[in-house]
Amino acid sequence: MTAIPARSWRQLRLAPPLLPLLPALVWLPVLLMLPAVFHGGGWDLIGQFARAAFSPSLDPQVLGSALSGLGVTVGIALLGWALSLALGLLGGVLSSRTVWRTATGSALPAAWMRRLLAVPRAVHELLWGLLLLQLLGLQPVVAVLAITIPYAALVARVVSDLLDALPTKGLEALRLAGAPAGPALLTALGPALQPGVLSYGGYRLECSLRSATLLGVFGLGGLGTDLRLTLQSLQFHELWSGLWLLLLVMLALEALLRGLRRRWAMPARFGLTHRSVGRGGREVALGLLLLLPVLVVVAMALGVNPLQLGQLQPLPPWSADWPAVAALPWPSLIGSTLGLTLLAAALAVGSAPLLLLMMAPWPWGRVLMQAIWALGRLWPPPLTALLLLFVLQPGVLTAALALAFHNLGILGRLLLEAEESASVLAEEALGAAGTGPRLALLYGRFSVLARSYLAYGAYRADVILRETVVVGLVGAAGLGSLLLEALSSFAIDQLIALVAVYVVLTLVGEDLSDRLRRRLLAA
Amino acid sequence: MTSSPDRPPLELRAIQVPGRMAPRLMEVSLQLRPGERVALVGPSGAGKSTLLAVANGLLSPEAGEVLWNGVAPARSRRRRRRQQALIGTLWQDLRLIEELTVQQNLNAARLARWGWPRALLNLVLPLDTAANAAVLERVDLSALLLGQPVTALSGGQRQRLALARLLRQDPLLLLADEPLAHLDPRLARELLGLLLEQARGRRALLLSLHRPDLLDGFDRVVALRQGRVVLDASPSELTGSQLAALYRSEA
Repeated sequence: MTAIPARSWRQLRLAPPLLPLLPALVWLPVLLMLPAVFHGGGWDLIGQFARAAFSPSLDPQVLGSALSGLGVTVGIALLGWALSLALGLLGGVLSSRTVWRTATGSALPAAWMRRLLAVPRAVHELLWGLLLLQLLGLQPVVAVLAITIPYAALVARVVSDLLDALPTKGLEALRLAGAPAGPALLTALGPALQPGVLSYGGYRLECSLRSATLLGVFGLGGLGTDLRLTLQSLQFHELWSGLWLLLLVMLALEALLRGLRRRWAMPARFGLTHRSVGRGGREVALGLLLLLPVLVVVAMALGVNPLQLGQLQPLPPWSADWPAVAALPWPSLIGSTLGLTLLAAALAVGSAPLLLLMMAPWPWGRVLMQAIWALGRLWPPPLTALLLLFVLQPGVLTAALALAFHNLGILGRLLLEAEESASVLAEEALGAAGTGPRLALLYGRFSVLARSYLAYGAYRADVILRETVVVGLVGAAGLGSLLLEALSSFAIDQLIALVAVYVVLTLVGEDLSDRLRRRLLAA
Repeated sequence: MTSSPDRPPLELRAIQVPGRMAPRLMEVSLQLRPGERVALVGPSGAGKSTLLAVANGLLSPEAGEVLWNGVAPARSRRRRRRQQALIGTLWQDLRLIEELTVQQNLNAARLARWGWPRALLNLVLPLDTAANAAVLERVDLSALLLGQPVTALSGGQRQRLALARLLRQDPLLLLADEPLAHLDPRLARELLGLLLEQARGRRALLLSLHRPDLLDGFDRVVALRQGRVVLDASPSELTGSQLAALYRSEA
């Protein structure tokens, strides 16, 4: 008989299934803190808001206005997305090490391009929108550009990462056979790049719709503006008319993209770890060709005129007071922004698997949970923050809850997609041996999902840091609220300093989350 | 759940499972007595896996009755789970949880009997080391493997671990779906020996297999063809021509 290893506390180690649930522990302090944040009133308003969901206004005027607002939002989303995809592809090729090495023998220009593109990426689309609004005045092109600029930089980064991760043996063989750099790159890497780019491009369209709604909330046109106005004037029935329409469009878009992803055998987004070959090249090309006239019609209908870009608004006079800027309470501003990010990220990342686990035995509970997640995805965080202000005091916790709800919707859907594609065999075996559905899910499937889910969660934390600016309006939420103040009072010196700090924070956060993601996926 | 000594651990009465083209099981009746070792044979597509899935509750028959330890599957989920805790299945693909350690995999067999605190603790600390070491020893594996990840085991060790997990579950009925497929002859004989050894006392064994040369240790052989029981005899009564006829249509 072999000696039995003795148990020691040094053997204490968290197994993979527990890892996705770990961030949910943050609920303990949050629940302890919550009673102190309630201001005592507003529950009747929340009740009215919830009840109104079942009786949205069907007044033709309200529906007409919501539909036209929705048309503007979808149009802005579509144009911003298409432009960002085209520019992002170009940027991605220009910041790819493989491309530069093949064309010039040195990868150095790629590194410079990446650094250059990091700045537009680090600034949230809302900030771009508000900055461009000051420069160009209120016109649809502002919202389109606000989406295009950061999204193009994001797409460029993903495209260059995908390009640089592709095997280069085929490319080297073509070059050795005397093929010029351009055709060799296109032949060797183009087809392999297509499924990844298409899958990511589809995902960006969903994001673009969310961003266009958010920009509307801040007055840049479309349904978002209606949603905010109806919420602030407590017209909940009218608010829900717009919300249900938006939900319909979003779910239809998600279903369409899911169908295309399956039809064209594109990789799942989760962790971007599984890449398939992709198919349907002719259909894809035809789809893109058909998209062009649609985009022209949308641009004309929205009144987007590129010539207006040259007509800058006169800026109000300003003077820089750098000592006053330096005297701002930077440590506390940065601290509360980071605190907000971590709190919101932990709440969102931890709650999705926790809820999935809790609902495992009840199919109807799962449906309800999915419906709430869908609402979370489409409902812009500043509006959640406004809604929470009915019952909670402004502050970091309120802002974190608003951000967490939105990101829970996004993470929850990804977790469900991954859960459905993960093997069910181990879970089934546990069930056949009498294990309850929750424990069978925890042991059988969370084991497989844990690392890639957390890797995606790390990426999401990085997105949340960028998003902290959008909940600035609930006050006391770090750099975001000061930034919005600086924008509205046109304090350019503060604005420059705050944007610079945001950029640095975002880039550091991006680097940290990248490292964490790589470690999780490599384990 | 109490178990009476004379109740059959498994009884199937006129089970029917429909299929797309033809029924997967038609009027299948089968009873396993306590301690009995039954081999289930038949060509591919005869319905062996379907029968085992009905036996462990993964599949509900359209008609007929399943009795576990003399009792029909309970309607209450909780009571049904308690019934299923007494049925252990050795899967062809083993279904080990690759991301967990050997010890955690062994303890996963106890989840039906454990509450949440213990189930969570198992994912943090090594639990029940002595009991796990004992089942590993019964399948000739070293207790030193307990802390190892499953991915570190060889093919043969994984087979044995799957069997040890079954023993850790301590079921009244052992089901095994083609456990010897894809194994080399020596390993197949070893594993079968271990399996037959475990069916003792009240514990019965129902094992599906493709190899007529390994039927010796069984008490009974039940043959399925096209979803029906075509033969039920002791291995000594079984003739070569009967077996040849059973597999002829497959060829």
